[in-house]
Amino acid sequence: MRKWTAIAFATVLETVSDPLALLLTASALTLAVLSPRLHYHQFGEPSRMAREAGLSAMLVFGLAYVVFGAVKAIRREIESGTIQMALSHPISRASFFTAKVAGVFASYMVFFITVFCASLAAVRGSEIGAEIASANGTLPLMWGPSFAFAFSALAVAPIVAAALNRFMGFRFVPTCAMCALAVSVASAFYRPDLALALRYLGAASALPFPAAVFVSVAGAAAARLKDHAAVSVSLFAILLSLPILGNYYLPNELTDGGSVSPGYLAMSFLAAMPLAAAALVAGVQLFKGRDMAE
Amino acid sequence: MNENAIELKGVSKTFRDFWLRPTVKAVDGLDMTVRKGEVFGLLGPNGSGKSTTIKIILGLLTPSAGSVTLFGLPPKSVEARNRLGYLPELSYLHPFLTARETLMYYAGLCGLDRRVSRERTDELLDMIGLSDVAKRPVGGFSKGMARRVALASALVGRPELLILDEPTSGLDPVSTNEVKTLVKTLAKGGMTILTTSHLLADAGDMCDRVMILDRGKTAAEGWMDELGTSLEKFFLAKVGEGRDFKIAPFLLEAGGES
Repeated sequence: MRKWTAIAFATVLETVSDPLALLLTASALTLAVLSPRLHYHQFGEPSRMAREAGLSAMLVFGLAYVVFGAVKAIRREIESGTIQMALSHPISRASFFTAKVAGVFASYMVFFITVFCASLAAVRGSEIGAEIASANGTLPLMWGPSFAFAFSALAVAPIVAAALNRFMGFRFVPTCAMCALAVSVASAFYRPDLALALRYLGAASALPFPAAVFVSVAGAAAARLKDHAAVSVSLFAILLSLPILGNYYLPNELTDGGSVSPGYLAMSFLAAMPLAAAALVAGVQLFKGRDMAE
Repeated sequence: MNENAIELKGVSKTFRDFWLRPTVKAVDGLDMTVRKGEVFGLLGPNGSGKSTTIKIILGLLTPSAGSVTLFGLPPKSVEARNRLGYLPELSYLHPFLTARETLMYYAGLCGLDRRVSRERTDELLDMIGLSDVAKRPVGGFSKGMARRVALASALVGRPELLILDEPTSGLDPVSTNEVKTLVKTLAKGGMTILTTSHLLADAGDMCDRVMILDRGKTAAEGWMDELGTSLEKFFLAKVGEGRDFKIAPFLLEAGGES
């Protein structure tokens, strides 16, 4: 287990620090946090724009995150030659492959929790803004949690990370990601609206399931194909599954105080896990059979 | 009980393109045996198949024909790799990990617990003289420093068999001498060592027995003390004849006009 966790942990560090992962996370955060500013597009509900933007950002950027993350994590090991060093140690190829995929998925969860909390703060911000608007007759320029998060994540997290890097030797980028995570959690749960949080969490909980499927698909593709081909195959698989992915797009369920039922989540889980497991098994077989020097 | 650390029988490796058409035959019917406790040198000119042979021994490449065993076990088995350490030709390290984290990472891959990993990491950092820069990411290291970290990574599991691909590549003369001394010391302690080198003087200093490869086949094999000549003369006699550059005619023309 120690061998497996060593690889998975190194993969988390590597993926979280990847510029593309940072760009995807920053893009998703920006979309989620700034969506309440589009207050003219409310679709009949004050927080609907923020909710739809948040869930969309988590789904679309999340899938891109796992596809690029898994392909890069595996291809980088093969192309840089580090896999030769790793596989000369007593670890099986199956363990190595599954640890890499698990590491990417763990880093995706950092992305997911950060964007979820930021989005939750934005949804609350929308509702608070709408209340102020109905009381005063005008919309506030910026409001509470949404603004606090946007400012904190974009300004405070890098400053704290830089200080920890300078004085305590912490790595800047992963520390920055962890600070953004902490700030987003604090923003979301500052004077929490627990009912809203639980309803929103119910809908968002379905999103890691397709991520688990496609991190395995992308890993399997990267076990056999080069970067661009592996990304193309994975994105094509996502396109093919769009009708199924439609079921993961759940904001309508949240309309007017509604929520996503636990039964739906259980069905989503049961649908996704066999697919993820099948892709993982295929990936292990492809990874075991290939030559590791190019 | 198996007395051979490595055994190759009729090993061939043909690389193929995407359509499975053969592109190059890198190793051709190679028989090789490395006995336990010896320092074995695998020599040959560029493209002779040395690195391919090593990667087959490590289980990184699957041979097209023939069989390979490490201590009587298949090379891809975890049990076999539990007994070996490998220093590749280039120091393949994760640039974002520090020197200490790199050694801890490879100690983790050897299944060592945290306490033993820390102890061995400290001792190895001390051995390679990088304790002072242990907290710096290896991505910023010089080639020689990275080489030392890679060597320490190969040793962290205390292997019975050490495979070194060009171990002195990129090292200054002082570090080269340190590596040669290290190899001799480890060999005295009973470790089996397989090394490749382009530097015949280095190979001559370290090896008990050598094999010379040429175009994927064995050109010569023998004990160092039975060569009857210097390793360099022996090597050139076996694979160096008729290999001078055909100098481009324009380089022989008088004057320096462009």
